[in-house]
Amino acid sequence: MAERVLVKGTEAIGEAAIRAGCRLFFGYPITPQNELPEYMSKRMPEVGGTFLQTESEVATINMVYGAACTGTRVMTSTSSPGFSLMQEGISYMACAQLPAVLVNVVRGGPGLGDIQPSQGDYWQATKGGGHGDYKLIVLAPSTVQEAVDLTVLAFDLADKYRTPVVIIADGVIGQMMEPVTFPEFRNLNTLPKHDDWALTGANGREKHIVVSFDIDPHVLEKMNLEIVEKLRKIEANEKRWEEYKLEDAEIVITAFGTVGRIAKSVVEQARKEGIKAGLFRPITLWPFPYERLEEISKGKKLILDVEMNMGQMLEDVKLAVKDHARIEFYGRMGGVVPTPDEIFEALKKFLNV
Amino acid sequence: MPKNYAFIGLFGSGKTEVAINWALKLREEHEKVAIIDGDIISPYFRTRDVAEKLEKLGLVTVYPKGALRNADLPVITGAAIGYLVNEEYKTVIDVGGEENGVVVLGYLKPYLGNVEISMVVNIARPFSSTVDGIIKAYEILRSVARIKVDYLINNANLSYETTPELIHKGEEILSKVSEIIEVPVKFSVVPDFIEEKNFKFPVFKIHRFIEMEKL
Repeated sequence: MAERVLVKGTEAIGEAAIRAGCRLFFGYPITPQNELPEYMSKRMPEVGGTFLQTESEVATINMVYGAACTGTRVMTSTSSPGFSLMQEGISYMACAQLPAVLVNVVRGGPGLGDIQPSQGDYWQATKGGGHGDYKLIVLAPSTVQEAVDLTVLAFDLADKYRTPVVIIADGVIGQMMEPVTFPEFRNLNTLPKHDDWALTGANGREKHIVVSFDIDPHVLEKMNLEIVEKLRKIEANEKRWEEYKLEDAEIVITAFGTVGRIAKSVVEQARKEGIKAGLFRPITLWPFPYERLEEISKGKKLILDVEMNMGQMLEDVKLAVKDHARIEFYGRMGGVVPTPDEIFEALKKFLNV
Repeated sequence: MPKNYAFIGLFGSGKTEVAINWALKLREEHEKVAIIDGDIISPYFRTRDVAEKLEKLGLVTVYPKGALRNADLPVITGAAIGYLVNEEYKTVIDVGGEENGVVVLGYLKPYLGNVEISMVVNIARPFSSTVDGIIKAYEILRSVARIKVDYLINNANLSYETTPELIHKGEEILSKVSEIIEVPVKFSVVPDFIEEKNFKFPVFKIHRFIEMEKL
């Protein structure tokens, strides 16, 4: 069995990226994700990769854009305000259909916000933070081990669908330490080469062109339709979620990331007091597992959505649940992490017990 | 007996937990014990995040108060120096990780007085799992901080997955490091959920203060 090591979430994502074959990292410092670029600055030279600290997030995302054009595995990480700055470049990459992995370790907002954990960037990540018609695959880990596993998956999905993939981790996942097992190193020669489109030097073959525009509206519409078709495929194939103690549940808590983890404690606490609660935790925030949540919600007493924001995933929960069950929301903002006790109190209040 | 104690180490070596537990142990014998949060690196999971709990247990906690408590700024409060030089207090300083964190100790050097400096090592962490890695870290930390390291501390741990075997392995590796750099090992850290007492180095039992919901 592979060795267990104790790592922070940010370091875990960094090492997992290297194991997945990522050898290019561009980044600009911002709390609470600085350990990731810090880790990469130490680790990339050891594996023959490149770490580059840029002068801004705008520069970062455009370097990622350039690197991705070559079909090479590339990653960046940032935190909320930095992710906002990257949106223009992300939209360009979505249109140019380029694979890359983007990590957002979300902190309190809006605006400059604070450096505490938050889930306030759900809308930005899942509804299209930049301009135009596009979606990104968005993965939300709730443990450090899951951050490792989803980082590897992120690179594979990015390559498979030629799309940027976002790993959305809040500050807690980024900063907390847990024992994990890392996967084996990928053989770089076995990674997708993207021979059919990547810019690798024409050298005799027909030239490849990667662009994010066309001035003929009909051609641009065709490009859009290609993207839409791809997104439909992703929706059909890539929905992921976790179900916890839902078999006999009358109450369903919906939560993602760190809150998903805290909600498990709430489920335990509720069950000790005779309240049959369970957890539905979306792992892909986009594509959101609407159908499964709808199925589960039928006949339930209450769906309690809990988030570290004003109720962002709540909109998708409502789209899924429709009028099958009563939906309530409990949230904290500004970087406040709800405790299991306070979520349980909220649950009891909604149940009038 | 030293008046002040400082704990240094790489990121995530467990300095904060060891420092807190050491301060509480001092508190058993001394009326006045202060713990300084000298961590200018980590944004959370720091001493200040459990300050209220520690105050209740009789420790004086020293960190930037008010709005600066949550500021993303490398602030060391002036009160830190006060407690380091105040002879009435036993003072423990928890220093941030890596070379950037340990700079704080260099800055406080004129006020450290009769101090004991220990380097906390967790062999289950990246960059400190081997004899070479630990010695490299030791050389960097002591030269950046411009201090002499008096002791090594074996804090081999995988958080809630820590086993006696891992602690034994830590002792084995630290013994080799200790022989090469000629710095003795002060103790092996043993979490309160491990029963075994039969270790090579003296045992320092700790209770974890900084925790997230387990899965």
